[in-house]
Amino acid sequence: MNRNYIYLSILILILSAGVFFLPERDNNQQISPEELMLQIMQPTHYISTDAVAEMIIEKDPTLELIDVRPIDEYNEFSLQNAYNLPLDSIMAEGYQDYLGIEDLNAVFYSNDDIKADQAWVIAKRLGYNSIYVMKGGLNCWIRTIIQPERPEETASSEDFELYNFRRGASQYFSGIEIEIASDDSKSGVNVVRKKKKVVAEGGC
Amino acid sequence: MGPLIPQGIITGQWDFVIALLIGFAFGFILEASGFSSSRNIAGVFYGYNFVVLRVFFTALIVAMVGLLYFDYFGWINLDLVYILPTYIHSMLLGGVLMGFGFVIGGFCPGTSFTAIAIGKLDGIVFILGFFVGIAIFSFGFPLYEDFFTAGDMGNITIGEILGLSNQIVTLGVVLVALVAFWGTWLIEKRVRKTINPFKF
Repeated sequence: MNRNYIYLSILILILSAGVFFLPERDNNQQISPEELMLQIMQPTHYISTDAVAEMIIEKDPTLELIDVRPIDEYNEFSLQNAYNLPLDSIMAEGYQDYLGIEDLNAVFYSNDDIKADQAWVIAKRLGYNSIYVMKGGLNCWIRTIIQPERPEETASSEDFELYNFRRGASQYFSGIEIEIASDDSKSGVNVVRKKKKVVAEGGC
Repeated sequence: MGPLIPQGIITGQWDFVIALLIGFAFGFILEASGFSSSRNIAGVFYGYNFVVLRVFFTALIVAMVGLLYFDYFGWINLDLVYILPTYIHSMLLGGVLMGFGFVIGGFCPGTSFTAIAIGKLDGIVFILGFFVGIAIFSFGFPLYEDFFTAGDMGNITIGEILGLSNQIVTLGVVLVALVAFWGTWLIEKRVRKTINPFKF
């Protein structure tokens, strides 16, 4: 047998025996307070209701919605395909299975930002990444997606585009037929479409 | 530092780029090791060529030992490395089927693609069968879904099953590998009349 094979065998044997002398490494290092503060200050962990609505409609497979409200509120109303992870249970055994799933972006939401933000900070301290907060929570969801306000007549075309998207999303989530607004609507011609029977979607 | 994606150092969209780079390197090593020849691969079952066993065992022990040192140096957090869930029943059956496929076809999935890359007709036929198998498995999945998910042991490691530390498991596998290297060398020497060991 080639001597080099013998040398390599001895080397791997020594290295594998050497692992017994390596001290235990503490991998459960928490994020430092400075780093945590920096991440809290950055708005990049917020995601708008429009972006969430678009992801739900497009059935984005990377989206994982997590409702941090108590279970009774979750049963009453929740977003489509959302999981319930009540804030007071986030540390409990088994509940964290929802977090840290490869390739998934977890988006926390509650009625407003407060509980979702608290859940985000706890999850961050627990060492999870790819976690976000839906800005404004369900209150903002209702205001912007379910019952969007029509922009002023003098508003820009971008505002009308956003409004039309929201009206479309509103129809998708609530099943109510709507009229589509456009810049031409200033002419005063309103197209009123016949109401269709649409099955309500959106987990309501 | 690592793993890079779970730590948020790079985003998950890099998955495909990294997979492509690793794929190139893996394919190159397979071809350079002679794995695009089905004689080399099927030889392990007939007892005249154990290069497959030695190459894969070498990769395994280098990765095992290397990961423990990487963890010690802080280059990777082993707690964050994803461990595939173990479905013991379907994995045992899958292993047996894979073994039959290996010895009958003369390739494993990776090596069949390297065989195609160098224009081997048997590799092309193998891959056609491979896709037919995928189609049958995918469309028939509801029929055997219960069996597939039975025996779910979770994301478990050998050490956790045996109640041993990673260090003991690593040393054990290294010892088994070295014995296998030595044993297969003796078998090859007896079976093959002319043997030219690789010089480096």
